[in-house]
Amino acid sequence: MQSGFFLGVAMSAAPIVALDAAQVGRSIKRIAMEIAERNGGADNIVLVGIVRRGATLAERIADELRANGRREVPVGTLDISSYRDDGKGLPGDPRLIGRDIPFSLDAKRVVLVDDVLYTGRTVRAALDAISDLGRAESVQLAVLVDRGERELPIRADYVGKNIQAPHGQRVYVRLTEIDGADAVVVGNANVK
Amino acid sequence: MSRLAKFDVVSIEDLETSDIERVFALADSFAAQLAQGDQITTAAGLIMATLFYEPSTRTRLSFESSMHRLGGAVISSADMHASSAAKGESLADTVRVVSGYADLIVLRHPHDGAARVAAEYAPCPVLNAGDGSREHPTQTLCDLYILRKKKGHLKGLTVALCGDLKFGRTVHSLIYALARFGANIVAVPTSGMDVPDYVLKRLAAERNYSFSTVTMDELKSLAGGLDALYLTPSAPHQMALFTGDGALRNFPAAEPPAALDAFYVTRLQKERMSGKEAGPAQYVRFDARALRTSRTQEAVVMHPLPRLGELAYELDADPRAVYFEQAAAGVPVRMALIALLMEKAAAASVGPRPMAEAIRFKAEPPPRCSNLNCVTRFEGAYLAPRFTLGRSMDATVLALKCGLCERELKIEYVGHARSHRYYHFDENLQGYVRQWIEEGSLAVFDSVKQAEEAGYEPYRRGPQREIMNEEEVVGAIESLADQVIADVPDISAVSIVGVVSHGAMLALRLRGLIGSKTKVLPPCAALDAYKPADALHPIDGAENFNVEDRTIILVDDVINSGWTVQRAMATIWQRGRPAAVKLAVLIDRGHRAVPIRPNYVGKNIPTSRGERVQVRLAAAGTESKSHDRVMIYSIVEPLKEPEAAH
Repeated sequence: MQSGFFLGVAMSAAPIVALDAAQVGRSIKRIAMEIAERNGGADNIVLVGIVRRGATLAERIADELRANGRREVPVGTLDISSYRDDGKGLPGDPRLIGRDIPFSLDAKRVVLVDDVLYTGRTVRAALDAISDLGRAESVQLAVLVDRGERELPIRADYVGKNIQAPHGQRVYVRLTEIDGADAVVVGNANVK
Repeated sequence: MSRLAKFDVVSIEDLETSDIERVFALADSFAAQLAQGDQITTAAGLIMATLFYEPSTRTRLSFESSMHRLGGAVISSADMHASSAAKGESLADTVRVVSGYADLIVLRHPHDGAARVAAEYAPCPVLNAGDGSREHPTQTLCDLYILRKKKGHLKGLTVALCGDLKFGRTVHSLIYALARFGANIVAVPTSGMDVPDYVLKRLAAERNYSFSTVTMDELKSLAGGLDALYLTPSAPHQMALFTGDGALRNFPAAEPPAALDAFYVTRLQKERMSGKEAGPAQYVRFDARALRTSRTQEAVVMHPLPRLGELAYELDADPRAVYFEQAAAGVPVRMALIALLMEKAAAASVGPRPMAEAIRFKAEPPPRCSNLNCVTRFEGAYLAPRFTLGRSMDATVLALKCGLCERELKIEYVGHARSHRYYHFDENLQGYVRQWIEEGSLAVFDSVKQAEEAGYEPYRRGPQREIMNEEEVVGAIESLADQVIADVPDISAVSIVGVVSHGAMLALRLRGLIGSKTKVLPPCAALDAYKPADALHPIDGAENFNVEDRTIILVDDVINSGWTVQRAMATIWQRGRPAAVKLAVLIDRGHRAVPIRPNYVGKNIPTSRGERVQVRLAAAGTESKSHDRVMIYSIVEPLKEPEAAH
C-alpha cells in the first residue's frame, strides 16, 4: 500500500474529494505510461473496460496510448452487474450480463480496466468471461482506485490511487463523459 | 426417388467450377424466360421450406420468389425463435422434422457452422442462406453472375473489396470464389476490419493465393487521381494495387499498372461494432469521384445491399452502379441453383461430400472450439466439437481446426496416450503428432498441470535438484497454518478446498494443523477443475461440502500463471457464493498471467519459465514426513528426436 489516504472522521462529514480533475487526468496518463512500459509498447495489448466507468477509463487509456504515438489499441467492454434480478434489491454476486469484444483475445495481453477495486468479485467474474473468450496470453488489471478490503485473492497491476475508506463509506469515481466532471469522491452511501 | 439430389450448398466450395458455370447458363435462360413473361413449371410439385433463425428480407424473398417462379411451393415459419427453437428443439431435430414436409431446406442461422450441421442431419438438400459470420454462397453466386455479365469473364479481373471485410460473410464467400476464378483481389478494409486469418490461410493452402491490402486513405488518394503515390518503391504493397496477378510476389517496379474492374463495397455492420473499432465517420464513403480516374473509369460498383451511408445516391444513375441489378439477379440465379439440384438428381451421381475424419482424442475433456459463436457452443451434447489438423504458421503451437466453423484452436501441450508422456509442442513433433492421430493416441492439454493430473509425465526432464527438504516443507506448511490462524478472525467459518492432487494433500495437512492449534477442524474438499461432473467433493469423511457464506481457504501446492486458481474459483462459484476466498500456496514461483495474488505463501521460489517445480508430500496423518520435498527440474530441452512414439 503506497500513499494510503485514511479518512478517519469522514463518517458524517461532507463528501471528501480524494482526487481532483487534474489528479484524475494525471493518474490515467501514468497508468497508460506504465502499461506501455511494462509491455514494451502497445503492440500486443487489448483493453477491456468494465461497464460503465471502467469502459470510459479504458477509452481514455486508449486515447493516451494513441497520443503517445503508439498504435491503435482495440477496446472492448464487459457488462457485469452486481445486483440480483429477483427484485429484492440486495447485492448478489456480480455476473456477466453483456459483452462487446469484437476482436480475438488469442495470444493478446488483455488489460482489464475498472474504476474501483474493492472486494474483487467483479474482477473474478470478468476473468471468467475473458477465459471463456479464448486463450489470452495474460490478463493485467488497471484500476483508478484501490480501496482495499479484498474478499478474494485479486490484486491490481496498475493503480491510480490507494484509498482506505471506512466501512459504510463509498468511493465514487466521476468522469466527465458520464458525470460532467472528473473527480474521485469519498462519502456516505447516499451521497452522489 | 427424390426429384432433388442430396446435394448441399453450404459453402461456395461445395460447387465445382462446372456447377457454377451451369448455374450461370441456367440463370441466363431463366432471366430470358422471365423477361418474356413465360410460365415456368420446372419445379412443379416441389416444396421448399425456408428456416430463417435470423431476420432477412431480400435473401428470403428472393428464395421464395425463385421457387414460386419455378412453379414450386414454399412453406415457411414466420419466426424460428418463436416456434420450436424457443422450446429448445435442437437444429438437428428441426431439420429432420422439416425434411418430412419439404423437398429442400433453405437455412439462415446466427451461429457459425450451423448450415453444415443442418446439411449433415437433414435427409433433403440444404442451401445455406447465411450462417453466422461465415458464408453466404448464393449471394456470392449472384455477385459472380453480375460481374461476369458486366465484364464478360472472371479470370484476371481486378476487384477492390472495401469496408467491413471481417464480419461480412458475403465477402468471405466472394473471396474464395474470386480466387478460384483467377481474379485479382485488392482488400481495402476499414480500420480493424481486416479479412480474418483463417480465410487467408485457407486461400494460401488450397489455392496458393494471396492478395494485397491497402488503407482507405490510399484508396481515396487513388480516387482523387494521385496515381504517382502508387509507384513509390518504398511502399511495395501500394504498387501491388495494380499488379497483373494481384499478389505481392515479384512485381517489377517498372511494369505499368492495370485498371480496376470492380469495387465491391460492404455495409457498415452497426450491430457488430464496438465504439472504438471504426465509427461511421471512418467508414468508406463512395461517390462518383472514385470513378473519374483513368484507372477506374471502367470499374463497376457492387454492393450486397442494404446500404447505409457508404454509397452516395448520386451514383445510382451511373450505369456503372450495378447493385440493383445484382439484387435482381437473386431470383434467376437461385432458380438456376434449384434447377441444378434437379439435374443432379436425374444424373444420380452425387452423394454427400466426405468429411475429413475428426481427430479422436485421448484424455478428458476433449478441446472445445475457441469461437464463441461456433454452433458447437449452442447445440448441446449431440454435437461434439470436432477437429482436424490446422495450419498454424507458429511453430510452437499445434493448430487444430474446428470442423464446423473452421476457427483454429492453438494447443501448447500434447501427449502420447501409450507412453503417457506429454510434450511442449514444437514443429519437430509435427510428424509424431500425425502418427499419434492415426493411432488414436493423441492427447492435448491446456497446461502442464492438466497433463500431470491426467497422469502424464514430462517427456524428458533435465537434471533435478532439491530446493526444499523435509524440514523446510514441514516448516512451510506450519507457517501457512499460522498465517491462516492469524489472519482469519473466525476459524469456525472456514472451509478448506484443495486443488487435486497435491493441493488436496496439502489441504488435509493444513486442516490437521489448524485443528490441533485451534481445536476447530474445518470441513475440507478436493477440487478438480478438469472433471466437471465431480469437480468438488468432500475428503474429510463428510457427506456434503458447502461453500455458501463460508470463508474458503483455497489451497494449491504451486502457483505459477494463476489460471488454475481462476478455474478453481469458477468451480466454487458454480456451487454458491462464499463470504471470501483466501489463497494458500506452498510455493509461489512467479510468472503470473492473471491478477491473482496468494494470501498465504510457504516460500517464494523464483524460477525460469521452462522449469518445473515438483512437490512431493506425505499423506496427512502419517507419522513420517520423509516423503516431503520439493524438486526443480528443467523441461525446456528442445525435442530433437522424440522416442515416445515407439
